[in-house]
Amino acid sequence: MNNWAIEAEQLIKRFPRRATPDSANGDNGPAGKTEPRTRWPFGRKKEPAAWFTAVDDVDLQIQQGEVFGLLGPNGAGKSTTIRMLCTLLEPTSGLARVNGFDVVKQSNQVRQSLGTVLAGERSIYWKLTARENLEYFAALFHIPAKVARCRIDDLLERMELTNRANDLVEKYSTGMKQRVAVARALLAQPPILLLDEPTLGLDPQAARRVRELVKELKAEGHTILLTTHYMEEADQLSDRIGIIDQGKVIALGTPAELKRRISQQDAIRLEVAGWQTEMAESLRQLPTVENVVPHYTGTDSLWEVNLLTANSRAVLPGIIDRLNTNGTRVVNMNVVQPTLEDVFIHLTGKALRD
Amino acid sequence: MVTTPATSSTANARQHGLLAELSALRAVVRREWTIFRRYPSWIIALFIWPVIFPMAYILSSQALAGPTSGGLQIFQRNAGTTDVVGYIVIGTIIWMWQNIVLWNVGFALREEQLRGTLESSWMSPSWRFSLLLGNSVVQMLVMLIFIGVSLVEFTVFYGVRFNGDPLLVVLMFLLSIPSIYGLGFAFASVVITAREANAFVFLVRGLVMIFCGITYPIAVLPGWMQSVAQFLPQTYIIYGFREAMLNGASFQALLPVYQILVVFGAFWLAVGFALFRRMERRARQTGALGQY
Repeated sequence: MNNWAIEAEQLIKRFPRRATPDSANGDNGPAGKTEPRTRWPFGRKKEPAAWFTAVDDVDLQIQQGEVFGLLGPNGAGKSTTIRMLCTLLEPTSGLARVNGFDVVKQSNQVRQSLGTVLAGERSIYWKLTARENLEYFAALFHIPAKVARCRIDDLLERMELTNRANDLVEKYSTGMKQRVAVARALLAQPPILLLDEPTLGLDPQAARRVRELVKELKAEGHTILLTTHYMEEADQLSDRIGIIDQGKVIALGTPAELKRRISQQDAIRLEVAGWQTEMAESLRQLPTVENVVPHYTGTDSLWEVNLLTANSRAVLPGIIDRLNTNGTRVVNMNVVQPTLEDVFIHLTGKALRD
Repeated sequence: MVTTPATSSTANARQHGLLAELSALRAVVRREWTIFRRYPSWIIALFIWPVIFPMAYILSSQALAGPTSGGLQIFQRNAGTTDVVGYIVIGTIIWMWQNIVLWNVGFALREEQLRGTLESSWMSPSWRFSLLLGNSVVQMLVMLIFIGVSLVEFTVFYGVRFNGDPLLVVLMFLLSIPSIYGLGFAFASVVITAREANAFVFLVRGLVMIFCGITYPIAVLPGWMQSVAQFLPQTYIIYGFREAMLNGASFQALLPVYQILVVFGAFWLAVGFALFRRMERRARQTGALGQY
């Protein structure tokens, strides 16, 4: 018998989608699949059944006490995976077990084994106080009132919310609301925590506090599956990372292992004023240059351009020559060690934030 | 504090069985009641609406009755009561009750879906129907207050004299609950997947208003409409309350109405529960709970 805290085998989730002319022709997005047209017996055409595959054949094994980061851009399938693991969604096919319990057949035991932070600050009642929220959820998790009172006091203390415990949540900052959501997840002292984008929308200080909490929870022995599209966060917190894109896990390993995949390459970060679209192709034609990913910074017509190359020294003059033309100019340039973002770019040809 | 994780679910301090479910239900009731109290405008509405809503019908009846109130005698012959104002206010109060249940119970889960709290409650090991049931319990308490306030206000402002056995009226209220709330449960389950149901609320309350005779006896309706009215529990609820409160009907006289309401109640509760279970299954397949 294995000791996996979370285990998924060939997990697939497909959603029915109203057929459009494009989807009927099989053009249903990168992860979409379209079933063939069928006919009713009386000759009337049945509307083609189009399907969107949000999670596509995912295999995962997460050890007890491990922090596992699921890293990917918005819409990659991270949240759908987590929702299947916490029994909110039923897999279309495949198997998933949490704490040894099947997510479909033993969903109640799965829910008892899990603490979840989904939808962050929106997952708690804003018209209740933090204490009232925790009392309510403690009862839903069948925690006896006396035990709940002690745990709530402890959790409020730990989340540095004791002084504001009796204020309505609507008066809290986003970071405080998120801490109430984390406290809610910890109420039943679950062995496994699922944190879906736990720092999304938080200011840097609040995000740092949540990251510290994740580290503390790991030290206490919790198994944590966290999804994020912040690569620094995944790098900093995770023992292992699964990179997910278009519903598929395209790479899996420790942060160091993943970065070693492109350790022979340099990552070049450029800031370019007056970027023109055709310049990407021009840069790609330089020897050893690959994965040119431009991104508009939103200020002063500045673009950030990331690229990977096997030999930055040889290629830099060519890059500058090709960019400093027709009013375009390079205003900043750095050659850096590849990060997980570069791994993602290397694997998918696009940036995480795309 | 160190939140040492339990190695298995059974190692953790937890209540089990019916007691645990009742605690969870009580928590939902407490939550809803606390939130209700934090919206003072809802409480004010409870006092104002019962007086204002029937006023239009009462004034219309007085205008139509003519200067000598001769028209009222004809109405009284058709309606079987001499208390026209009481007749109208009982009809409107039942209509308002059903209307409030459709909005509040019917949209209870939808409200949670929009807030983002539905999934976090749904992921607990508690019985999920408690979420809807708890909301309904609070709505029943609110409606008890609403009806109590209405009765006082009708007596003070409209001079209505209620003439009946209070116990029979309470029994009528209790037996009306399953039909009215069963429809609310059914509605709540449909709204989660449909996500937009205002038109349906307007349709249902319109049907009740026209077919169940909230301000007139259904005898004035065409034959086919009277046939439709027989299949609506609100027809019997309105009739039963009028008989119990205005005409001093005995238990024996009201028994057929009670029996019919038991049958309707069982039917609508079964429909409501079945639709809830269907929604629960469907939500797991489509992820509808998290969509808004």
